[in-house]
Amino acid sequence: MDMKELYALMERFEKSGLSELMFKRDGEEVALKKVLSAPQAPPAMPVAYAAHETRAPSVEQHVKQASDTEVIRSPLVGTFYRAAAPDAPPFVEKGDTVEKGKPLCILEAMKLMNEFQAEFDLEIVAILAENGKMVEFGGPLFEVRRV
Amino acid sequence: MIQSLLIANRGEIAVRIIRTCREMGIRTVVAYSQADRDSLPVRLADGHVCVGPAPARDSYLNVRNLVTAGVLSGCDALHPGVGFLAENASFARAVREAGLIFVGPDPEVIELLGDKIRAKRSAQDVGIPVIPGSAGAVSGTEEALSAGKEIGYPMIVKAAAGGGGKGMRIVRSGNELADILAVASHEAEKAFSDGTVYLERYLENPRHVEIQIVADRSGNVVHLGERDCTVQQNHQKLVEESPSPAVSADLRERMGNDAVRLLGGMGYTGAGTVEFLVKDGEYFFMEVNARVQVEHPVSEMVTGVDIIRQQMLAASDEALEIRQQDVRLGAYAVECRINARSAGRITQFMSPGGFGVRMDTFLYPGYQVPPWYDHLVAKLIVTGRTRPEGLRRMERALSELVIEGIATNIESQKKIISHPVFRKGEYGTGFLGEILKEGGL
Repeated sequence: MDMKELYALMERFEKSGLSELMFKRDGEEVALKKVLSAPQAPPAMPVAYAAHETRAPSVEQHVKQASDTEVIRSPLVGTFYRAAAPDAPPFVEKGDTVEKGKPLCILEAMKLMNEFQAEFDLEIVAILAENGKMVEFGGPLFEVRRV
Repeated sequence: MIQSLLIANRGEIAVRIIRTCREMGIRTVVAYSQADRDSLPVRLADGHVCVGPAPARDSYLNVRNLVTAGVLSGCDALHPGVGFLAENASFARAVREAGLIFVGPDPEVIELLGDKIRAKRSAQDVGIPVIPGSAGAVSGTEEALSAGKEIGYPMIVKAAAGGGGKGMRIVRSGNELADILAVASHEAEKAFSDGTVYLERYLENPRHVEIQIVADRSGNVVHLGERDCTVQQNHQKLVEESPSPAVSADLRERMGNDAVRLLGGMGYTGAGTVEFLVKDGEYFFMEVNARVQVEHPVSEMVTGVDIIRQQMLAASDEALEIRQQDVRLGAYAVECRINARSAGRITQFMSPGGFGVRMDTFLYPGYQVPPWYDHLVAKLIVTGRTRPEGLRRMERALSELVIEGIATNIESQKKIISHPVFRKGEYGTGFLGEILKEGGL
């Protein structure tokens, strides 16, 4: 794919209602993703000053991370389970390679067990959440490397 | 007694709740959106749980995440604050079904009061004066026209599920009724997914007066006098005071007793407000706010009663700390709402202080006011022995208040407080519109 094609693809993706796009051709692969918290509705107030991100150290999630890896975060508030049942083996262990679509963990919210799957082929570099403990929205679950 | 409380809200009301809980020895956990990571309530609370991204519908209105956050962070109760899900009966039910105490009235009571037509009927049933209007929903033009003959013009069309002025229209004659009815119903449908509307006599330039109630499960229902919220812009309150310059001792007693009888009769618990319109010495029931209100500090400063504390006691099935005969309504208090007119970083912030001054806010220097939520950023409340003394103190306090980095309404609050008509105390809900015409604000 040449750059012209790539730019055209990005432009169309930007305008589309899609939040993610995976494009594969002749062994080449392009993944595009929109930021989750992108405003859907106009903000209630005009912004007078540009935002400079500073965060209270008490709240910041410090996750040490290698440059070629990424962190998968929780899409909801729930209890993190590594296995389908207390006596079942964990879905994944550190170092495992996981195919896209295979389960990574269970997130329980209001008595509903939500199976959380890999969005792409990946290798588990680290498991960041603790089994049976609460994860908050955006809380880190796994550090992974795309394969 | 409640041990640990999830606060499903943000801003100054979250700070307000945390403060009372700390005094009562109750642990607090605040639910916050990604836009509120650096907020004062997150810093002040004992714990915090991120419940979603910036847009409120995905965070502060996300029932599943809020309830789960309450359960998993070991809370035994949830406080909804004001706005967001505070008057949502199905949320209250979900909280209860998850085994948590909902700090507020029972879901059945919220449901009844949330339906303005049913609420009005309940008031009428216990002999409270209501604004003349259609007995229930009006559907066709024919029905509306015949109702119009009985009620008399001008009338106001209101949405049954309504609030915030949406779906409200004034009708001055029968000729315009059909068109206005259609528009109001359409607007109500869009805003509340319910196009049901009803008709009422429109009181020209009335006073908006409300009675503060606190109630416990044993049936002790106490009123803390009235608040006058007549200074409004587009149905948004800007200045609230107590006592009202338009309410006599006799009127206060009748309105107070009516409010107690209405909420007592339906097994109401916690804090609530009964709103009335007052015109020429007469009063008419308008609606009930089944929650604590933004302007509750006015009544707190007049009576010395911590309303949030009473709410927490009532929710814990304990007795209120006061009875009606203990309530003293001697002093005067007034609140100015400080609203942001833009979002941005607070570069300078100086809070007024001194005798008789209270500041409820979540601002601090360096705080980034997010553009996503309500524009209220601070409530400045002062007390005085008399109204003139209190208003002079408010002028002084407003002159000390410095908020830089965002645009605010501080200057227009100064103009309202020093305006001769406001000082005289003789005006109606149209007052602010008149000042606007003078080019004042």
